[in-house]
Amino acid sequence: MERQENDGVAAYLARSVRGGADSRQIAELIATSCHAIDSALAPIIGQRGVAALYKRSLHLAGRTHVWLASAQEGVPSSMDIAALTSLLAQRSSAEAATAGGLLLQTFHNLLTTLVGPSLTEQLLRSVWATFLSGSSAQDTTP
Amino acid sequence: MTTKVTINRLATGVTGLDEVLGGGLPEFSFNLIAGQPGCGKTTLAHQMMFALATPERPAIYFTVLGEPPLKMLRYQQQFEFFDTEAVNRSVRFINLSDDAMAGDLDRVLKRIVDEVAQHGPALVFVDSFRSVALASATGGSPHNKLQQFVQQLGMQMTSWQATTFLIGEYFSETDANPVFTVCDGLIWLRQSVQRNSMVRKLQIMKMRGQPTLPGLHTFRISASGLEVFPPASVAVPDEPAAAPATHAPRLGMGVPGLDDMLGGGLPRGYSLLVAGPSGSGKSILAAAFLSEGARNGETGVIAAFEQHPNRSRSRAVADLIASGRVGLLANRATDLSIDEIVFMLLREIQRIGATRVVIDSLSGFELALAPTFREDFRESLSNLVIALARVGVTVLMTSELEDRYSDLRFSPYGTAFMTDAIIVQRYIEVDSRLLRVMAVVKVRASAHSDQLREFSIDNDGIHVGDMLANQEGLLGGRPTRKQTADGRPPGAKDE
Repeated sequence: MERQENDGVAAYLARSVRGGADSRQIAELIATSCHAIDSALAPIIGQRGVAALYKRSLHLAGRTHVWLASAQEGVPSSMDIAALTSLLAQRSSAEAATAGGLLLQTFHNLLTTLVGPSLTEQLLRSVWATFLSGSSAQDTTP
Repeated sequence: MTTKVTINRLATGVTGLDEVLGGGLPEFSFNLIAGQPGCGKTTLAHQMMFALATPERPAIYFTVLGEPPLKMLRYQQQFEFFDTEAVNRSVRFINLSDDAMAGDLDRVLKRIVDEVAQHGPALVFVDSFRSVALASATGGSPHNKLQQFVQQLGMQMTSWQATTFLIGEYFSETDANPVFTVCDGLIWLRQSVQRNSMVRKLQIMKMRGQPTLPGLHTFRISASGLEVFPPASVAVPDEPAAAPATHAPRLGMGVPGLDDMLGGGLPRGYSLLVAGPSGSGKSILAAAFLSEGARNGETGVIAAFEQHPNRSRSRAVADLIASGRVGLLANRATDLSIDEIVFMLLREIQRIGATRVVIDSLSGFELALAPTFREDFRESLSNLVIALARVGVTVLMTSELEDRYSDLRFSPYGTAFMTDAIIVQRYIEVDSRLLRVMAVVKVRASAHSDQLREFSIDNDGIHVGDMLANQEGLLGGRPTRKQTADGRPPGAKDE
């Protein structure tokens, strides 16, 4: 993830937590990003291709947050975003934000090692733009 | 005014391919790029795609099964033509593996047509087509289904005004594949392996309505992508204007006395073979030829096919190369084709505006050719000489010649007849010393010296001396003093 975007996503999540977003709302934010990634990449590399990257990202981020690794079992044919949302929602909002942020960053880094920063940026630009311009969980909190 | 359709021809962006195709790629044609894995099909497709696609008329690259798209993107990026900015703008990758896995060709076709309708591409690629064929095999009567699919696809794509490419693996040429019948163009890529050398070849087996160049054409894949080498005869069209101008001033050789031996220098546009044993001074003569050109404001090109070019190159030539007055074509590869060498030579000649060309030596040139071409070495050499003659340059080629005193030979390749002029150098033994002699054997359509002249080499180069008039049997390598009528050597004084 570009440094700026990386900071942006992490900061956005942290701000949402500080603003009182609960773990369910954080989980929804992460899930929306995952759906956006799937929409951006699946037409190009196939659902199975995206799912394989997602599984690997969960595995890598799971070194820090062990519980993440169980979000996708077996050889996946598509991203199981519901399972991730459910796991995140069971954590504290701060932990869900940290783990979710790390997962997105790991996914971005993984894609970068495979197809380079330039093409990764080209493919995922819309995902981060949507994420950062979307209505903040903080705003939705009364 | 003609009312017949005009078929536009697209420039493929692949060096040499348009010539081989007979003037570019027919617009809206339905083509097949076939060949074994690793022969460059996907690279060729990508190179054409990035060259031709625009945001207004984009390209869609459908990936089916075969190579995972992620890997394709990873590896194709290594080529200079891959423009990441173009992705999702003028170039769109669409994965159909899920549709193909279901084995339902109708679904695959529908997806393709839907995407084409949505994006209006000028170019459509389906990679790989074999996987479509295999996917269809899961249902009944695969051949019929496949044929239907291909016919439908061909019709749809042409109707949507898209130039289409199916990229396929493993097709056997003898296979009565229905795709061959339906497609307008069939580009076949091959790899020819002999010993440790691999040569890539391309054949246009079919291209409707196009005067394609028949036969196998070599190509190379480098960081810039594919580069096809059309035959030398096409690379340089035969123009009468390029014929040697016999009345034009002749070229100086840069060796005092040698021009006189040649009848007043070497006629412009001639090819000269300098043959002699190892160390006889062929390369020094070649260096003098280039230096003399530079002195007269001419530029040259030296093609050095040697194992250690730096070691054997003279200081004078090195200086000329450094100053840019002589272009260097140094290649230690051992997998070149004659067409590629001609291509490289012509490019360098054109770049520098060269009038003099040196090939040093033919033995190294032969070694630089891939083994598969060495069998046709004479033909290759003939093509080279013809191509260079057509552009009007004057060529000096050196040829290593084993000293055989039992016969007079000029070239180990039997190539003497191809050249316009020949200078032969030999060693002789006189008074327990190894001397060098040189003679002009041939200058086509010109008078020339028939003298066998001694010559020496020092730091200043070659010095042509006199005839060894008092010796005979020079060509036998061990001359003897001529005897006069009274049994004494000529010129011997009375006691």
